[in-house]
Amino acid sequence: MSELIAVLVVGLGSYLFRSFFILALAHRRIPDQVLVSLRFVAPAVMASLIVALMTDSEGNVAIGVPEATALLVGGAVAQRTRNHIWTLFAGMAVYWVMQALV
Amino acid sequence: MSVDRSVARQGVIDALPLFVPAVPFGLVIGLAIADSGMNPLAGWSSSWVVFAGAAQLTLITLLGSGAALVAAVGTALVVNARHLMYSAALAPTFQRQPPWFRRLGPYLLIDQVFALMAVRPDEEPDRFRTYYLAVGITFWTLWLGVTALGVLIGPVIPQEWNLEFAVPILFIGLLVLGIDRWPKVVAAVVGAVATYLAAGLPNRTGLLVGAAVGILAGTVAERYRGE
Repeated sequence: MSELIAVLVVGLGSYLFRSFFILALAHRRIPDQVLVSLRFVAPAVMASLIVALMTDSEGNVAIGVPEATALLVGGAVAQRTRNHIWTLFAGMAVYWVMQALV
Repeated sequence: MSVDRSVARQGVIDALPLFVPAVPFGLVIGLAIADSGMNPLAGWSSSWVVFAGAAQLTLITLLGSGAALVAAVGTALVVNARHLMYSAALAPTFQRQPPWFRRLGPYLLIDQVFALMAVRPDEEPDRFRTYYLAVGITFWTLWLGVTALGVLIGPVIPQEWNLEFAVPILFIGLLVLGIDRWPKVVAAVVGAVATYLAAGLPNRTGLLVGAAVGILAGTVAERYRGE
């Protein structure tokens, strides 16, 4: 039940973000400072999420060599190919190979 | 009518190549739902209630990893805060639309729809609306299908494949592909370090603290860049 409420709250919040200026403030401008900060939401949150997934609830690093290598290779492949599918394949392939080796 | 139909067809045709990269993403979300232990239907409902891959994946992964509800919901909302930018950018164009579309349109305003619409702000209102709906409904239908497929095949995939590791790989792809200026690197690095330092905070709220510090650092770096 609480999961469904979480989904509904995120859904409602997302709709409010998407509709905010279209419905409520069409003739007002967003302060430039806010627009600048919004650009940094994605990189900051993505980097934080990766770190959060790689640490346990007490804040200790919870990954080994296979995970770290796969993330580095995945990042490098994303940089080179600009493509999610290659990133996913390369990262997972390296992860599986390293798991078999280590 | 024939103009409408050709505009709609063009919208569907333009949406399809943009959907290809979303296929593995949708499948991983489905797998993450199956893996998280949450009710599959509740998890999948995020596809049409939230309709935003990165926020869905964030919410599902955090709920599955035992994060507090408020931390999971808060982080997923922060992930989607970028949609405010899309809303602001398209608001003038939407003023020429009927009220029903001003209410329905934002529901479909995801990254890819914005990317296709942002380049045609001066389109004649009827054509704009038809194209927008064609693109949005195409994405919506495919997204619901792909995530459902992920939920269905999730339990069949052997546990030893450790497919849950696809989640951080996808996040690193999103991170790297989104970086087009060095202040974003600053935001990412500072966000990562701050999250690590704050990781001991209860209920994984360190994630929100770290992300906020990263956003602040990026904003400051951008100001230096501009000077």
